[in-house]
Amino acid sequence: MATDARWATPMNTDLLRLTQWLSPAFPVSGYAYSHGLETAMAEGRVRNGAEVARWVRAVIERGAGPLDAWAIRHVIGGGDPEEVAATLRARAGCAERWQEMRDQGAAFCATTNAMGEPPLADLPLPVALGLRARGMAAETVVLLYLQAFAAQMVSAATRFLPLGQAEAQTLLRDLHPFLMTTAARDDPLPPGSAAMVAELDAMAHETLQPRIFRT
Amino acid sequence: MLDRPHLQRVKGEARVALGRAGLRDLRQAGSAKAMLPRVDGAEPEVVFLNTAGGVTAGDRLDYALALGPGARAVGATQTAERAYRAPDGRGRIETLLTVGAGAHLDWLPQETILFEGAGLDRVTEVELAEGATFLGVDTLVLGRAAHGETLRDVRLEDRRRVTRGGVPLHEEHLSLDAGALADPAALGGARALATLVLIAPDAADRLAGLRAALPAPSVRAAVSAWEGRLVARLAAPDPAPLRRALISAIVALRGTPMPRVWQTDD
Repeated sequence: MATDARWATPMNTDLLRLTQWLSPAFPVSGYAYSHGLETAMAEGRVRNGAEVARWVRAVIERGAGPLDAWAIRHVIGGGDPEEVAATLRARAGCAERWQEMRDQGAAFCATTNAMGEPPLADLPLPVALGLRARGMAAETVVLLYLQAFAAQMVSAATRFLPLGQAEAQTLLRDLHPFLMTTAARDDPLPPGSAAMVAELDAMAHETLQPRIFRT
Repeated sequence: MLDRPHLQRVKGEARVALGRAGLRDLRQAGSAKAMLPRVDGAEPEVVFLNTAGGVTAGDRLDYALALGPGARAVGATQTAERAYRAPDGRGRIETLLTVGAGAHLDWLPQETILFEGAGLDRVTEVELAEGATFLGVDTLVLGRAAHGETLRDVRLEDRRRVTRGGVPLHEEHLSLDAGALADPAALGGARALATLVLIAPDAADRLAGLRAALPAPSVRAAVSAWEGRLVARLAAPDPAPLRRALISAIVALRGTPMPRVWQTDD
């Protein structure tokens, strides 16, 4: 991947487009979603950097991470976006999980449409990203997506817990090996999940009061 | 019960078809059986059983239950299914449930118990016709509670899918291995997991009632409803309280007692 000539070509803007789409500044309101982490923090099960790292790692290794990675790879590889979207929708474990990927995907489609890309109807975020990234190296797209996803959860933690910026960035850096492992997976079929705690947290978030995140 | 893998391979299939007027077809072979006990209620019950008591590497069980248009029925299993230690492979259990136009199925199997070293591929496919509705539960027990067994190594791929006209409405895919069992952030110390899924146009209307029924000591439970589905998840360190909570949830949704096979001690 690092040796892929695409990224070495100075005239190629793929990497710039990709990092722009996955930047926290890209208007998909990523800051508004905690993926259920808010429940774990509010209930006192995730209280510090080490516990945030464990929770996020479980999601990246065994929760939405591998499934999103499969979806992005499958769409980049020519898979039917509607079919992949249907699978993600069916596998969304609760209302807010579906809302999170649907609403961010719709915002991603709307913004990229407005930027003059070929028009896309609303699709869940991993599917929309995969379509926009067709022609790019799939593993790089997945890796940067997973980093953005992990960063979004870590960022949610910094707004809830007394977690310093340097500590937050360090724990995100320390998640890199797990992002690499998940990005390197090439599941032919949608992979399963074992992140039951995160599933329950996401589901219980619906009734969490008060709450500062949408999920 | 059996503590070690039995060497004789288990094969079995049991297929039942019901119409509005009752039984239309029943075929069974090998160690899979299907029974239609006499019931007091209006809805027939179909009870499946693996007479081998469990599955290990190379075993294969197929269950099928088909409801014709407008039919209503309850499907269950006679007892818990056991996935024994399977050092040299996996067992496979496939369940196909087809629910005809306007029909309704309550699929209420009892728990599947994973023994240390178990290897199991399980596929549960639910095909709904137009206007068909479905309630399904699934319970997984991680290790033999009576033995105080804590699982360290299993290989489980458990896929459950509900489709209508080929379009997936709901999918679950639990994938357990030694890494997941060793990760406290994955299962949170749970030794029993259950999922309840209702696919019906009025699923969201049942949300409040189900939430009210679910708080239970020693059980973590949450409920969500969206797009014609109602999903509850339960997790507990011990299987017995989880079973009680799941029964409360099922009774709250159905408004009728559990099938007799469930009415044992726990």
